[in-house]
Amino acid sequence: MIQLQTIAKHYPAGFGKVYVLRNITLDVKEGEFVSIMGPSGSGKSTLLHILGLLEEPSEGEYLFLDEPVQKLSEKKRTDLHRHHIGFVFQAYHLIDELTVYENIETPLLYKGVSSSERKSRVAELLDRFNMVAKKDLFPSQLSGGQQQLVGVARAIVHNPKVIFADEPTGNLHSEQADEIMELFQKLNKEDKVTIIQVTHSEKNAGYGHRTIRLKDGWMA
Amino acid sequence: MLRNYFKIAFRTLLRNRVFSMINILGLGLGIAAFVFILEYVSLEKSVNQFHTHVDRMYRIMNVAPNGTSWGEVEPGWATLAQDRFPEIETYCRFADGIASGVVQKPDGGVSFKEEAIGYADGNFFEFFSFPLLKGDPTTLRQPNIVFLSESAATKYFPAASPLGQTLLLHNQFGKTTYTVGGVFEDMTEQSDIRYDMVCSLETLKNPTNTNGNDWVRLDNLDNQYINAFLLIKEKADHQALEAKLNALRQERSEENDGVVFRLQPATNIHLAASFDEPLQTTGNVRYVYMLAGIALLIVLIAWFNYINLSTANALKRANEVGVRKAIGATSSNLIAQFLGESLLTNALGFGLALILVSTLQPFFNDLIGKEVSLSILGSTSVWAYGVALLGVGSLLSGLYTAWILSRFKAIETLKGKTGSSRRGVWLRKGLVVGQFAISTCLILATIVIYSQLRHLQNGDLGINTEQLLVVSGPQIGKDSTFATRSNAFAYALEQQSFVQEYATSNSVPSRFYNFRTSGFTQPGSRPKDELKSYAFAIIGDRYLNTYGLSLKAGRNFTPEETAVDWNDNSKVLLNERAVAEFGFSSPEVAVRTKIKWDERYLDVIGVVADYHHTNLKNAVDPIIFYPQKSTVYYSIRLTTGQMSEKVASLEKLYKASFPGNPFDYFFMDESYQKAYYEEQQYGKLFTTAALLAIFIACLGLFGLATFTVEARTKEIGVRKVLGASVGSVVVLLSKDFLKLVVGAIIISLPVAAYFLHQWLQDFPYRIHMEWWIFAIAAFLAIFIASFTVGYQAVKAGLMNPVDSLRSE
Repeated sequence: MIQLQTIAKHYPAGFGKVYVLRNITLDVKEGEFVSIMGPSGSGKSTLLHILGLLEEPSEGEYLFLDEPVQKLSEKKRTDLHRHHIGFVFQAYHLIDELTVYENIETPLLYKGVSSSERKSRVAELLDRFNMVAKKDLFPSQLSGGQQQLVGVARAIVHNPKVIFADEPTGNLHSEQADEIMELFQKLNKEDKVTIIQVTHSEKNAGYGHRTIRLKDGWMA
Repeated sequence: MLRNYFKIAFRTLLRNRVFSMINILGLGLGIAAFVFILEYVSLEKSVNQFHTHVDRMYRIMNVAPNGTSWGEVEPGWATLAQDRFPEIETYCRFADGIASGVVQKPDGGVSFKEEAIGYADGNFFEFFSFPLLKGDPTTLRQPNIVFLSESAATKYFPAASPLGQTLLLHNQFGKTTYTVGGVFEDMTEQSDIRYDMVCSLETLKNPTNTNGNDWVRLDNLDNQYINAFLLIKEKADHQALEAKLNALRQERSEENDGVVFRLQPATNIHLAASFDEPLQTTGNVRYVYMLAGIALLIVLIAWFNYINLSTANALKRANEVGVRKAIGATSSNLIAQFLGESLLTNALGFGLALILVSTLQPFFNDLIGKEVSLSILGSTSVWAYGVALLGVGSLLSGLYTAWILSRFKAIETLKGKTGSSRRGVWLRKGLVVGQFAISTCLILATIVIYSQLRHLQNGDLGINTEQLLVVSGPQIGKDSTFATRSNAFAYALEQQSFVQEYATSNSVPSRFYNFRTSGFTQPGSRPKDELKSYAFAIIGDRYLNTYGLSLKAGRNFTPEETAVDWNDNSKVLLNERAVAEFGFSSPEVAVRTKIKWDERYLDVIGVVADYHHTNLKNAVDPIIFYPQKSTVYYSIRLTTGQMSEKVASLEKLYKASFPGNPFDYFFMDESYQKAYYEEQQYGKLFTTAALLAIFIACLGLFGLATFTVEARTKEIGVRKVLGASVGSVVVLLSKDFLKLVVGAIIISLPVAAYFLHQWLQDFPYRIHMEWWIFAIAAFLAIFIASFTVGYQAVKAGLMNPVDSLRSE
């Protein structure tokens, strides 16, 4: 499903360039749960952003669903985001002005899903995550763990093939973190969603099928 | 989707309350000013356009070789032209100034002085589209018929029906009886013709109704006193007709003064078609466009606020943009969303504007001195341009901000990069400069206009106007006993202890001259000197004394000289300006010389020191003073104090000598002030505009300062921990803004000075724009701006650094 062929990423710096990623070759099959680990500055977030089509690689080839995507137009890329990709962020990145319900609903709006379908899908997720009572609250009225639950709900509401999670538990304490990780595992097992997460914690990485380790931009 | 956009727009507005308020208040004020001025422009554009055939109506104008033009023509031309030129369907003539007098109910009853009264051709109410309430329009074809406005009808006949009633008109044509033939709707400000009474011109065909005023004959081609409108046939060429009219003038006129006819489209009589249209108009197209320009500038300032505050706010929105892009929003989705926000803000501003317009309408009407309301917008298509302009403005300001906001890259904002706050910073600075440039221009204009107004109001007229009351002489009762009675009134005036001095005259300062005429020469005259025009003031022997005028040479008129018949008189006085115009080397030389007026010789017996007879907006005219025993005006200087009692005693004396006449009076100093009405309006208008502009600009500046302080909270905290004083923080935060304001001042002052200099050129008696005028304008702009920014800066300076550092 995801194939990286000798991907590299570099930025101009002074007269030369600085490599953040080098020679990354990676194959992720549908239904896999992959963890990316590495020390700060090892390039794991950049790798996730490239995988999530938020950044373009400088070198190499990226096949997403067997299609080369490293030079995709913005429209096409947005299309992939709408249909196949979900994001979970460390800082949740919920929209402050929208309620829980509306935050979860937004991807469906962009996807152009009909109103009744949106209602049932959001209701289903609220129910599944035990958040029905909180649906009219704003993000600032929720705890961190609850916010991240909404973040996960928003990431899967449009039935994506893959979820990219950038240190999804980085801002949470361990109890909440476990809850989120268990949720990921469940999604992966029951809903067959492919999950790629970046994490600092060995424990969290353990929830996945395999772990990719990065060091100074190289795969270890 | 749309609902989602509006929902988030509303919540964003609510969340950023201060900025929303600034935007909505600014837009509300700006749009309200815009709508008000739109009303005014609509009124001005709609004047005279309601006549059914207005597009085929033309006014015959006289144009002198020097370019001045006037609408009074000789009455004979229209008739002649219609006989000769088939393209003229019909014509209508009317004369106003000559009709004014006192109107009285016949039974010796109430009388009023009437100024808005005219003589008109019998087809007046068919030619023009003034709605008639009562009567048949064709009745006006008969002699001795008068049509009254609704309010005049109520004034004279509050109880009875006015039709068929009679009224007496006492004016220069003696006493004439008129029967009321019709009642018309009051003529509004949408018409340049505004009569309370329209008398049939047919009346003047009968010599018994003209009191020996031969010049009024309707077929004459010598005396210009009437307005003549032509209705030409469809598809007729008015320029060809104009040429034919001038050929006719060449053929028939005995004068060779180079004056030619021009046909002025009736649609352009109020507002000229363009700035350089030379023909005289009743409105002022420059004023209208200037107002429209000011309105636009004020809304512009409000839109600049929107752009500035929204792009400055971009940092807060960047994260939202990133998230939305990551979950599937395209740039166009985001533009639509932010555009929705801007349109919502504009719509709220518009709502506020409508509230402001409906509550502040009376103040605006007072400001412009006209009656307008929202309903006037319907009378022309101007409103469509206005609405289009508002639409385009809100769309553009919204699109720009939407575009700026939507350009954020998802990855940058999600990574928390803040470099994006620099985005649009140059434009932001430019817009602040623009706002303050406009504001400073308006401040400077206000100062200059008021200085010039003060200069006019307090300027030295060359005459003494203190305590000077002018009473209009009688019109009713000019019978065999009139001379005795007017002598008795004069004698009575002399006897009153509260009357310091008095004079009689046909013309008084601050009002019109009796007439202007040419045809004067002196032995040393050069060719064409006879074309020079002189103003005539007909005065009694006490005039100079009462007005405190000194003689530069010679002597005043004696009482006996004022008693000589008009045609037998051979003595005149000149003012200094006339002495120069005649080409005399000195007043003394003038006094020793006879001047020639057509075929008559006149002795210059004295030279009067120059004074401003009309007002200080005009240069001193060359004046010839002609002696007559007059009863048109009594100028009376009263002793100080207890004015109302003195005026009451005067009224008693007046009524005793001239029973039946209305006691109509005015104070000379007030009458002069009326001449500066237009400048007073300008002053008020520019004050309001300047206040509004600077207020809206300061709202924006306040918002920007708030942002800056917010964005630099941490920096300020650190600086304070390191020992920065409150003062240094204030300077740090204020100086960037003040630089912009100073830049605006440097740009705007020369521009404003150029236009104000042009404006001042219209005044022969004007102020010089001294350096301190600029200094005051600059100081005001800087002071107001520092005050605005200073509030936020001081607040930041006083803040406890621990709070700001902990919050990070």
